[in-house]
Amino acid sequence: MTPTPGIPRAALSWLLVAQALVIVPHLGHLPIWIVLLWLGCALWRIQIFRMRAAYPNALVKIVLMLIAGFAVYQSRGRLIGLDAGVVLLVAAFILKLVEMRSRRDALVLIFLGFFVVVTAYLFETGPGIALFSLLPVAVLLAAMIGLQSEGQAAKPWPTLRLAGGIMLQALPLMLLLFVFFPRMGPLWSLPTPSDRGKTGLSESMSPNDIAELSRSDELVFRATFAGTPPPRAELYWRAMTLEHFDGRRWSQAATPASRVDWQKRGEPLRYSVLMQPSEQAWLFALDVAESDEAGVYRMSDYRLQRERPIDRPLLYDVISWPEAVRDSSLSPWQLRRALQLPSQGEARSRLWAQQLRKAYPEPEALVNEVLANFNREPFVYTLRPPVLGENAIDTFLFDTRRGFCAHYAGAMVFVLRAAGIPARVVAGYQGGEPGPGARTVQVRQFDAHAWVEYWHPQRGWISVDPTFQVAPERIELGLEAAVAEEQSFLEDSPFSPLRYRQYGWLNQLRLALDELDHGWQNWVLNYQATQQQGLFERLLGKDFQWRLVLALLIGGGLFLGALALLLLKPWRDGLDPAQRLHAQFERILARQGLRRLPGEGARSFADRAARELPAQAAQIRAFSGLYQAQCYAGRSVAPSVLRHSLKRLRRALPWRLPGRGGK
Amino acid sequence: MILERLFQARWQRWLERRIPPASRVRLDNRRVFILPSRVGLAFGGALILMLLAAINYQNSLAYGLTFLLGSVFIVTILHTYRNLAGLGLQAAGGAPVFLGEQACLRVRLQSEAREHRSVALGWPPQPLQWFDVAAQGACDCELSLPTRRRGWLRPGRLRVESCFPLGLLRAWSWVDLELKVLVYPKPIPGDLPLSSGHSDEEEEGQAARGRGVDDFQGLRDFQPGDSRRRLHWKAFSKGQGLLVKDFAALTGRDLCLDFEALGGDVEQRLSLLCHWVLELSRGERPFALRLPDAQLPADIGDAHRDACLRRLALYGLVE
Repeated sequence: MTPTPGIPRAALSWLLVAQALVIVPHLGHLPIWIVLLWLGCALWRIQIFRMRAAYPNALVKIVLMLIAGFAVYQSRGRLIGLDAGVVLLVAAFILKLVEMRSRRDALVLIFLGFFVVVTAYLFETGPGIALFSLLPVAVLLAAMIGLQSEGQAAKPWPTLRLAGGIMLQALPLMLLLFVFFPRMGPLWSLPTPSDRGKTGLSESMSPNDIAELSRSDELVFRATFAGTPPPRAELYWRAMTLEHFDGRRWSQAATPASRVDWQKRGEPLRYSVLMQPSEQAWLFALDVAESDEAGVYRMSDYRLQRERPIDRPLLYDVISWPEAVRDSSLSPWQLRRALQLPSQGEARSRLWAQQLRKAYPEPEALVNEVLANFNREPFVYTLRPPVLGENAIDTFLFDTRRGFCAHYAGAMVFVLRAAGIPARVVAGYQGGEPGPGARTVQVRQFDAHAWVEYWHPQRGWISVDPTFQVAPERIELGLEAAVAEEQSFLEDSPFSPLRYRQYGWLNQLRLALDELDHGWQNWVLNYQATQQQGLFERLLGKDFQWRLVLALLIGGGLFLGALALLLLKPWRDGLDPAQRLHAQFERILARQGLRRLPGEGARSFADRAARELPAQAAQIRAFSGLYQAQCYAGRSVAPSVLRHSLKRLRRALPWRLPGRGGK
Repeated sequence: MILERLFQARWQRWLERRIPPASRVRLDNRRVFILPSRVGLAFGGALILMLLAAINYQNSLAYGLTFLLGSVFIVTILHTYRNLAGLGLQAAGGAPVFLGEQACLRVRLQSEAREHRSVALGWPPQPLQWFDVAAQGACDCELSLPTRRRGWLRPGRLRVESCFPLGLLRAWSWVDLELKVLVYPKPIPGDLPLSSGHSDEEEEGQAARGRGVDDFQGLRDFQPGDSRRRLHWKAFSKGQGLLVKDFAALTGRDLCLDFEALGGDVEQRLSLLCHWVLELSRGERPFALRLPDAQLPADIGDAHRDACLRRLALYGLVE
């Protein structure tokens, strides 16, 4: 039941503000006409409020809805799916504003607003959006308060202040719920936003793709080691292997998750990886990796793969055995695949491979000769290689000799296969910047790398890196050092903080922000079932179920009790300030031996007191007069005036009259 | 049906003990009830939808917003309760009305310390009326109520409710301020067989039509209770003091409004008597009222009129 059917001014103005605030975080992925639609509808609604325009009739409403639906279809290509769904929701949220007549309509609008805020979290999850969304939520609550206020009485600012106050008071309880509310896996699968343009490795590689990645400073993952991280030159993070070559591109062959044959050897490395959403299913790890996370498998090419694409930050633990021996034997189809080449092209390379095969019957010697060739000949590591046309490998190996990891790895695998040695390209990331705390390594897109592994009949798969022969500083120091001379490091992003690593304080600030981001991902975004379980076990011990319930009850109870005390101030209950002061007045007079008799009215008591204490009669009458005015005449006298009057009486009285002393 | 009535009776008895009738009531934790409103239930439904989205997308921020709004809901319980707690209600009387008019009952809302916003008062199913009470202030509320029968109108327990601040919860109380207002019979014009007031045997069945101009007898000093209409303003303006015009006819032949002399059922007779009480009082003519259970001697003035109307209102009813 609401006071009157119309929408009060305070509620309407906050609704308009709330709409703008709710829509702002969506601007990145909404079509531009939404903004125009909002402006139009807001103007229309204001004119309706000023009685200068009419509400839309049924026909206009239907036409508007159809136009909005058509516009969504035009800009999204369909009407179903998450992206189109969000646009439709926002459009409905905006159109509802115009046809909103009653308080019930306004409530529908407010609830829609909360939903739109939630959908913004599907597209962005940083601490910025989390803080920002407090604003629209506060304003929506202010609009709800405005709806409860009678007519035009409610002023906008106090309404917002009250909403903010309630939110602030709700915050501790929210944190308690956030930590202790049991998390569970998805109940059913829902569509995910598809227009998140993700940079990163893809399932096939041409040299250009890696060059593309080297322009981005986006974080890919962060690894935190249990001990000291290995030196940078040993950090080869495998993502996948590329075994199929079509003459231009290397791409992934179908790799079943078959059992692999390997022996653990040497000391294992233990670390955890916090990975950014990649929209791909593969994980990053050092060779040879084991992970017992649910839904994570090791494929036959020793990469780790998850059942579902990684669409939100993912934390997983890994154990790696760097010295393990992989695949001491290969099946015929595996051999065939590791030797696959296009039937023609690259004649010079094939010829060179034949010569090498004759000169070096041992695979190891042949590989060493290929690597030595990269070192010996004038190869140059550059991010600005010349364009290669037909027979790219020939041109690269014998003419231009300028390129980066993808060129070297591709050319080397081609030559090895042509010489009869099973080989493949491994794609992933190499190196990484030491993060805060010395045990973490941060890997960014520009650390993308491609290297080579070949198969030795006795020793299994062996990794080699031709890029190291050409530009050892790329491996030992990173991309920035390797391309220092040509100034091509992040040349498209002049404002990337990573370009200014040499300035101490700037770098400190960047690392601090990274740390904040890391903490956010680790503790907030990634706080799901596994992490919660871990936290509970650490906090509450092994059998935490009943202790958890107890903790929730006690925590929530304590908080609500404290808040109730703060809000209700029960110690001030019972008497209003005037009556409290009057009780004080009676105590003061009681000290003079004057007690109020049962049934004696306040006024007659004061008269009696004034007669008994003629010296103080003026003060007594002054206080009594004010008190009467407050209590009976309905005049409101500020308590401070009463208090002041009482103080004057107290000053006028001697501490205790001789001979009359009360107890 | 029977169960419902039984429940109603128990509920009323329980309320009677919990909130005993008093002309002044202060709302406190014994007297304020609170439950989610319809809006609150819808809000809960919306929160469940949000929670499902958070679970299915494994989205911590969606969890966060859901929990924030859930906590707001819980904190609002305190705020809504606080908005009623400490509110004082006091019966402030009400003027008698004639049957068929809207009765107007006055209630004074008093704030002890804090502001009380959007407090609704009323007797369902009548629509409630909304009031704001300033901090440490008071608010005089006039509550109107339709009248259905003559006699004392006791509207029963007054509903006090508020959904402030968010409308998600409704705090309410039923207070009995012992409010009552007297409802006079509805005045219905008609002819009246008159009987003389001085217990004379001869009852002339004479219709009283119009106001005859009686003989002016002279002036006498004003006494409290005399009608102002009979003041001799000209003499007053000449500085001769307050004098009253005395009419011989009014002292000589008093009218008696006799219930027994009328035809029709009880209510019709009362209505007719009511009309004539008003009419004669307006004409400044003294009259007596004779009812089967009471007799009011001939008199004149507002006090006499009110006493007569009160007799008429309560005739045949247990007071």
